[in-house]
Amino acid sequence: MRVLLLKAGATALTVIATVASALYVSSHLKNPTAPLQPSVLNANGNGSAVSALGGTVTVGPSVRPGNAQPVTSTYAS
Amino acid sequence: MRPETKIESHRFEALGTSCSLFSAGRPLGRLVEGELWVRQVGARFTRFSAQSELSRLNASAGRWVEVGEDMEALLRDALRAYATSGGLVNVAVLPSMMATGYTRPISQGPTVAVLESAHPPPALPDVLQVREGEARLEPGAGLDLGGVAKGWMADRLCAWLGPNVLANLGGDLMATGDGPAGDGWPVGLAGVTVMLRDQGAATSSVRRRRSGDMHHLIDPRSGLPARTGLEEVSVVASSGFEAEVVAKTALLLGPDLAPTYCASHALAWWLGGSQ
Repeated sequence: MRVLLLKAGATALTVIATVASALYVSSHLKNPTAPLQPSVLNANGNGSAVSALGGTVTVGPSVRPGNAQPVTSTYAS
Repeated sequence: MRPETKIESHRFEALGTSCSLFSAGRPLGRLVEGELWVRQVGARFTRFSAQSELSRLNASAGRWVEVGEDMEALLRDALRAYATSGGLVNVAVLPSMMATGYTRPISQGPTVAVLESAHPPPALPDVLQVREGEARLEPGAGLDLGGVAKGWMADRLCAWLGPNVLANLGGDLMATGDGPAGDGWPVGLAGVTVMLRDQGAATSSVRRRRSGDMHHLIDPRSGLPARTGLEEVSVVASSGFEAEVVAKTALLLGPDLAPTYCASHALAWWLGGSQ
């Protein structure tokens, strides 16, 4: 009788652990498209993208886009 | 925002490109002194003069050579750039640059390319050693500092000029201080204005300094001009040198990896074009 109880208990424990693990894993799905590093956020806490020449300028939180006339530019030389 | 301080500016040609210096609250004469600084330091870093410090190091054939404080610091930073870029920013690309025909100043035009002699460059730490006041280059190796020197010089020049200045050396720039109106220095990046405070910006490109299929940006993985799918990358980073390294690395990584790389290494960025 005692052996039977131990076997039933072990089986129940295994089933409970399996079900709990499956529930935990399925509720914490990994996003396969997530970048390797956290994306840079803008000052408002959202991604900031500014339309630019033939593409998009992405601006992080420590750089502020401005409306002033630039005194100079970065360019290829 | 405080009342705008008057901006002094000074433009000149040096380092084979256009340079411009700006200051808010400092006299024009200081910027003219800055031009002299650029010419003096640039003369030590160029490979187009047999008398330069760099040329003496390239010709040293394995001997320890005396180098100045600036050259020592730049070589140490070049080794650091090699490490942080995973080997993609490698100043030991001189043999490949010569093979592509970039044997003399760009203003004189390229010579005939001999790509058969272009090989992936050796790992920089394997051929370059630096110790206090001296450097040693393995025989057969050659350095070209053109890919990192301008941003590095912009950083040093700003520190030398004093607070609240901007140095733009051929598009690789550093801006220090709060700028003329206290909200940073307005700088153009791919047609957008960004306000920089104690930050640098740089552009790496294969669109300039090219002749036909040949251009000056060597991919160290092949020893040949880079063809990664990106043609131009502009970034903002914590310094001009850092920006130059990040822009070059991103361009060499190509369009698939560059966005993620820039997200973790740049403060702002633009990826342009395709090959």
